Amino acid sequence: MYKLLLCVRYLRTRYLAFVCIVSVMLGVATLIVVNSVMSGFSTKLKERLHGILSDVIVETERSNGFDESPAEVMAKLKATEAGPSIAAMAPTVEVFALLQFNLKDRYGRPVPVTKHVRMIGIDAEQQAQVGRFAQYLHRQKGSLHPSFALTPEALDRFTRNRLAADPDAAFRIPLEGTPPGQPQPGSFLNEPNITIPASPPVVVPPPDLAAPQTPRLPGVILGYSIAHTRWKDPETGEATEYALLKPGDDVMLATVGSGGFKPVYSTFVVTDYFQSEMSEYDGSFVYVPLDELQRLRGMDGKCNSIQVKLTDDVRDNPMFVNNVIVPQLAKAFHPTEARVASWQQHQGPLLAAIDIERGILNLLLFMIVGVAGFSVLAIFTMIVSEKYRDIGILKSLGASNRGILAIFIGYGLLLGVIGCLLGTGLGLAITEYINEIEAGLTAITGQQVFDRSVYYFDRIPTNIDPMTVLLVNVGAAGIAVLFSVLPALRAARLHPVRALRFE
Amino acid sequence: MLVADNLIKSYRRHADVVRVLNGLNLTVHDGEFVSIVGASGSGKSTLLHLLGTLDAPDAGTIWFDGRRIDNLPGRERDRLRNRTFGFIFQFYHLLPELSTLDNVLMPAYVNHSILGWWRTRRVWRARAEELLHRVGLGHRLTHKPRELSGGEMQRAAVARALMSRPRVLLADEPTGNLDVNTGNDIVRLLRELNRDDGVTIVMVTHNTELAAGTDRVIRMVQGRVQEERPSLLAAV
Repeated sequence: MYKLLLCVRYLRTRYLAFVCIVSVMLGVATLIVVNSVMSGFSTKLKERLHGILSDVIVETERSNGFDESPAEVMAKLKATEAGPSIAAMAPTVEVFALLQFNLKDRYGRPVPVTKHVRMIGIDAEQQAQVGRFAQYLHRQKGSLHPSFALTPEALDRFTRNRLAADPDAAFRIPLEGTPPGQPQPGSFLNEPNITIPASPPVVVPPPDLAAPQTPRLPGVILGYSIAHTRWKDPETGEATEYALLKPGDDVMLATVGSGGFKPVYSTFVVTDYFQSEMSEYDGSFVYVPLDELQRLRGMDGKCNSIQVKLTDDVRDNPMFVNNVIVPQLAKAFHPTEARVASWQQHQGPLLAAIDIERGILNLLLFMIVGVAGFSVLAIFTMIVSEKYRDIGILKSLGASNRGILAIFIGYGLLLGVIGCLLGTGLGLAITEYINEIEAGLTAITGQQVFDRSVYYFDRIPTNIDPMTVLLVNVGAAGIAVLFSVLPALRAARLHPVRALRFE
Repeated sequence: MLVADNLIKSYRRHADVVRVLNGLNLTVHDGEFVSIVGASGSGKSTLLHLLGTLDAPDAGTIWFDGRRIDNLPGRERDRLRNRTFGFIFQFYHLLPELSTLDNVLMPAYVNHSILGWWRTRRVWRARAEELLHRVGLGHRLTHKPRELSGGEMQRAAVARALMSRPRVLLADEPTGNLDVNTGNDIVRLLRELNRDDGVTIVMVTHNTELAAGTDRVIRMVQGRVQEERPSLLAAV
């Protein structure tokens, strides 16, 4: 009983103890805030990675895609043991490509700009069913039936572009229903070497801009960063965003055909943007209609990747997906034919890097608590020195060495627990109001603490993991106890007579 | 009851070894009030610490009720200090963080687990209050030691020493830090306890006048008992 009584009394009367509490509190709060923010970033990143990829990706490295048609490949997958766990599938064609479009220089002359991109041929509706593709679309955000169709505004811009470049072009706008596979003349300012149909162009009356008609030119959904550029004013620090390409503008995409190293290219009209808030993807992904890309590359309706969405009962169990579903699906193919991987396996190095980074940061931050531990050691040594006589008195009253040890270790634990509780409260409060705090700091210092333009996040993402909070608390309290052991042992071993005579 | 047989105790100060007790023999009978007098450095306090098992002799034995106590294992030695011996020190040695009542209750706190204390707390609290009333501190229960006078602190220390109903009180110059009148009050209190409760008391003092009020006076010189005689009071 005396141990508890004295622990509490020492806590109430020794102001030095509050230094220990504050040290532990700050350490715990820092760990919780940093972990929550890192976890927030990590969760957001994983969400986005998963959003772009479906649960399982089946892909072949063969240039001309799978031997079978997409329907046959999907049927093979459906016929495996994992078949019942498949909720939806979408065939895609993924190739590297060059994107070219024109900007105007200061004299209004067209200046071609070329970027290397990843061209993905998709069926927009099917793609929306296997992942969060539709959620990342700018104009058609969340649409159940996304498409590559032009809006009236985009069509208006398209027509105006044509008229500006070639006043006669307005009379040659190909309309919906034009036989596919025929390149369109005048569709690109740097007109590629496209065969002009032998038959005379369809002559139509000048378009009614109030009721435009959809051109047959295939649409393209561009990564947001491809179509936009940011300029940061060095004086004000304010970032301004400029659209390089708007819906209705046309671009040319060049890639290689499936039958060998033969360049192929075609013109596409921008219909929408894709904004996953992952700069790597937003700066390189270009979605085009699957059939258009198949045609362009001469793939004969084949694909080189199948995106598989799993049923809800298995998709949230990565261990099961990696160890059971993926091997079952892989059985459908010869190892040289296709590679089957879950989205985590697909992004393995990146996810591993995130985990390693987080682990190292935690280790470094835990040193803060280690510093708090040393303050506990220093202060406890002082307190034990102050309490020499009390220790002698207690021993004369029958307190055992173990009892004295327990008083000081208990004292350390009490300080640790109080520090942890306060630190947890502080950490959770900071995490909860981190955006408000960041805004306050930005207002005070004039420097933006969290540059939203870098991460595309409107708010600093946070994710409080109760297990992490618990581990931080246990660790911090453990360190407080660990560092109180040495002074406590010194107190316990004190000779009662020497303690009583201590001046 | 309490027998010291050929006790030897030395202290090492750097390279020097100072022998404080040099073959001391002593017997204290049950219910006796013994005072030990002697010059500074004669080994009085050391003897008291050895008798109370706060320290161990280099040689010789100490017996209590026929049982050797100088070589007891830690737990039994702690129990003996808690339940059988009561200590009173010259500088009171109250715990500054605790109230007078909690200081007096400390031996009971030491003796009980949290649950055990919770069950018996009323009994112990009543005893502590009764003891404080008995030593004249019934109105000072919640006061901290720093709010008490020297005499009051020593009376609180006496109450604490009596808390576990010890059989032996070991008092190390209990009046050494008090004025004459207050010192007399304390010795009178000890005498009452000895007479009314039958507590055996061994008191170390410099004051021969106070020592005269005890049953037997033992004079120590250079770590040995030089003279033992019944006090005048005892003779009366």
